[in-house]
Amino acid sequence: MPSLSFDSELAAVWPRLRRLAHALARNPADADDLAQMAAEKAFKSFAQFQPGTKFDSWMFRICRTVWIDMIRSGTRRAAHEAPEEAGEAVGFDPRPATDAAIDLRTAMAAMQRLPEEQREVVALILVDGCGYREAAEILEQPIGTVSSRLARGRQALLAMLGEGG
Amino acid sequence: MTEEEEFFAWLDGELEGGQAARVEARVAASPELAARAEAHRRLAAGLRDAFEPVLQSAPEPPRFQAAEVVDFRARAVRRDEHRSQFGLPQWAAMAATLALGLLVGNLVGGSDRDAPVTLDHGQLIAAAALSHSLDTALASSPGNEGARIGLTFRSTKGNVCRSFQDGQASGLACREGRQWRVEGLFRDGEGQSSDYRMAAGQNPRLAELIDQTIAGEPLDAAQEKSTRDRGWR
Repeated sequence: MPSLSFDSELAAVWPRLRRLAHALARNPADADDLAQMAAEKAFKSFAQFQPGTKFDSWMFRICRTVWIDMIRSGTRRAAHEAPEEAGEAVGFDPRPATDAAIDLRTAMAAMQRLPEEQREVVALILVDGCGYREAAEILEQPIGTVSSRLARGRQALLAMLGEGG
Repeated sequence: MTEEEEFFAWLDGELEGGQAARVEARVAASPELAARAEAHRRLAAGLRDAFEPVLQSAPEPPRFQAAEVVDFRARAVRRDEHRSQFGLPQWAAMAATLALGLLVGNLVGGSDRDAPVTLDHGQLIAAAALSHSLDTALASSPGNEGARIGLTFRSTKGNVCRSFQDGQASGLACREGRQWRVEGLFRDGEGQSSDYRMAAGQNPRLAELIDQTIAGEPLDAAQEKSTRDRGWR
């Protein structure tokens, strides 16, 4: 029985877990499901958590696994209402990104247009602020792979969200 | 690492010493690179800002472990709210919480005679010992045995309710007919003293439940006694 309290560890990382889920998932409802499912799965596997390692990284790795399962199994919420959502908020703001704050909906829609392997890297490094090494560990990818996906992902995002000045 | 990846690694503060200085010099020498650096900094900042509301508005995290709550009334409301709104996970998590609470707590007795609470036609009611305490004990003169009474008050429905602390649990029971219906039962948290001075009502979730239930002010000692003598009517 781990001596750590799962609930208190989860509570500390919960806002960031939800943010990560929003960066990955296609809409807020899916994101909430994802965060919830990840938390549940983590609770069930908590005995496998190694004390002394970072709980947030472990939690994020589980979140990513659950997210991939969601994509593969197609168990995303409201598939019938989602299709038009993905692109509609992107590219309609005539102001350059320098002047216009990006709103959540626009950011989520732009993230959706990234290939999944770029999206997860961008979500971890640009949105959450993970270091490259930490992201590589969470994703179980070589650091070189992570940095090349990150480069492609952020180029694509810049093209979508405005070139700025 | 390509030159582009190196540029981004520099932008993200991932390069060290000499390598960082080289990229920095390259950027300083090129207005085009400098503009790119600026555009990507803004992009990263904009992206972070865009997701910031999710951080700020995070609802309470789900709880899995202690299952202090066996608040069936609130649970039933939540269940109905969430059944359509959430898929299986939310409900499954709550069910897991509930099962843990019952297992860990042994608070609800089937055959367990010591349990303070029992089921009667699907309703949670105070079992014999607790019921006796609720019937007879006064907060102003606690006995040596049985549940300790915290607050006695009238609910918004007009019946008498009493908060209690019994062993490792505290809860709220309201008079219905000749029984005490248990409105909420909370396993007292870790580190929370079971010392009798921790009167029922110290548990924050119990306090919340009382807050939702109470009409007006709690009864004072004289009112408590006279209400008892009238059979809690």
